[in-house]
Amino acid sequence: MVLGVPFVCFAAALMTDIAYARTFDIGWKNFSDWLLAGGMVVGALAAIVGLVDLARRSVRADWLIWPYAAAYAVAMILGLFDNLVHSRDAYGAMPAGLVLSALTVLALLVTAVLGALLMRRSSRGIAR
Amino acid sequence: MKRAVLLLAGASLALAGCARKGVDPDRQIGPDPWLPTISQYLVPPMHVVAPSPWGSATPSVPADLKVQAFATGLAHPRSLYTLPDGDVLVVETDGPPEPIHRPKDIVMQLIQAHGHGDAKAGMDIILLRDADGDGVPELRTRFLSGLKSPFGVALVGSDLYVANTDAIVRCPYQPGQTRITAPGVKLVDLPGGPIDHHYTKSLVASPDGSKLYVGVGSNSNITENGMDAERGRAAIWEVDRVTGAHRLYGTGLRNPNGLQFEPQTHVLWTVVNERDELGPDLVPDYLTSVRDGGFYGWPYSYWGRHVDPRVRPQRPDLVAKAIVPDYSLSSHVAPLGMVFSTAAAALPPRWRSGAFVGEHGSWNRGHLNGYKVVYVPFANGRPAGKAIDVVTGFVSGDKARGRPVGLGLDRTGALLIADDLGNTVWRVSAR
Repeated sequence: MVLGVPFVCFAAALMTDIAYARTFDIGWKNFSDWLLAGGMVVGALAAIVGLVDLARRSVRADWLIWPYAAAYAVAMILGLFDNLVHSRDAYGAMPAGLVLSALTVLALLVTAVLGALLMRRSSRGIAR
Repeated sequence: MKRAVLLLAGASLALAGCARKGVDPDRQIGPDPWLPTISQYLVPPMHVVAPSPWGSATPSVPADLKVQAFATGLAHPRSLYTLPDGDVLVVETDGPPEPIHRPKDIVMQLIQAHGHGDAKAGMDIILLRDADGDGVPELRTRFLSGLKSPFGVALVGSDLYVANTDAIVRCPYQPGQTRITAPGVKLVDLPGGPIDHHYTKSLVASPDGSKLYVGVGSNSNITENGMDAERGRAAIWEVDRVTGAHRLYGTGLRNPNGLQFEPQTHVLWTVVNERDELGPDLVPDYLTSVRDGGFYGWPYSYWGRHVDPRVRPQRPDLVAKAIVPDYSLSSHVAPLGMVFSTAAAALPPRWRSGAFVGEHGSWNRGHLNGYKVVYVPFANGRPAGKAIDVVTGFVSGDKARGRPVGLGLDRTGALLIADDLGNTVWRVSAR
């Protein structure tokens, strides 16, 4: 599943954000910055694959594809803002960065649930 | 949570571009600058100008002064020192490559590279001899070679001290000498790599010659490389010239350069580069006297007790002790050189009782600031009055032809300016 990599990256960034906010150890923030950048790059590539998929009528057959795509778009927008907020130095990225990481993971969880429902309803999953 | 959302909304508005250019810098010149509230951004305001050669152009000066090139074709000259016999030392230098710790480092290096010249910097000290004082040196030699990001130079008796980025070395020197081949002896290690964010180690000897004072800049903008990387940094060290024993003389000085003793009061003064990314009008860079044991705020606070929220854990105990600097030069001007003008005999009298400051110029605000040399008038050993632009014209259109760094006075008392982008030393004298 294409969403696996960004999900792992953003979820791990949430963990390292929590670790930074609790310890103020800058190493955790550097981990967050790289994880968020990695999640964003792979996530954007996945979004391109998804958009190409959406061009196929068979993929659009199930209306559930639209909330699925919307949830993923929201996750990517949150992720982009999260990356920008994390570009601030030291604790300047907090607490907004931690909140954005949590919201991004939440949006990706919603995407995953909708994706799983889509898979169950269709014999041809859209997110390969 | 609600606060975070508000912060984010505020940042988005800021991104839309209403308050990114910055106010008239004049509001921040002097002992009591206007200070706005902090703005943090999704993308901070940035304005980096591309370089363009001087050609036949020169900087601009007021009507009672003239400016000429004292030396051209140098390799990133950043600092100047005039020996007692009148020979001028030009330090060619650049910082070591910066390690990449975060994705941001990659982006920032690309952006900053846009504003730098392509020419490779020297790691040498060049000697210029203008024996007849006409502003055209007759002799140019490679005085010292193979240094490691050198910046400060100080001569005491026959001992010449050079502040490399990682150590002060001592070399024997005799008047008239045009080249030093004797290996230097290390006096003391200074905080250098592996991270060496602010690498310039400004150097001055005490008036009695017993001590050396060294500016050691911070290793980050605002602790983003961790507090371990800041040991011994953002400080002025006092080093015993004989033993090399050192102590921290002043602290909380983010990037102190242009260390000089005020000639009338023999008090140590410095110019300081303050922190970035709090908005186009924060934080003002400044000129200040340095008190023994004084703490000037960095990283915990700025301009006295204004707390910087980006630093954790916070230190209210230190913030309570933070000294307000003497004189604001306005935000992001990047002062890197300073010289008192009492001995500037080649300038008209109105320029002879103050300090010249070399401002390398801003990147972190929409409207450029700095890129000039200013004169701060002094009375009784303290700043007295508004800073006056002296040497301007370093930026033309949206191209930078030069950027001033270190300053000095030549044998005749003319003002010298190291221009690290134009690879020139400029000489300013009476018309």
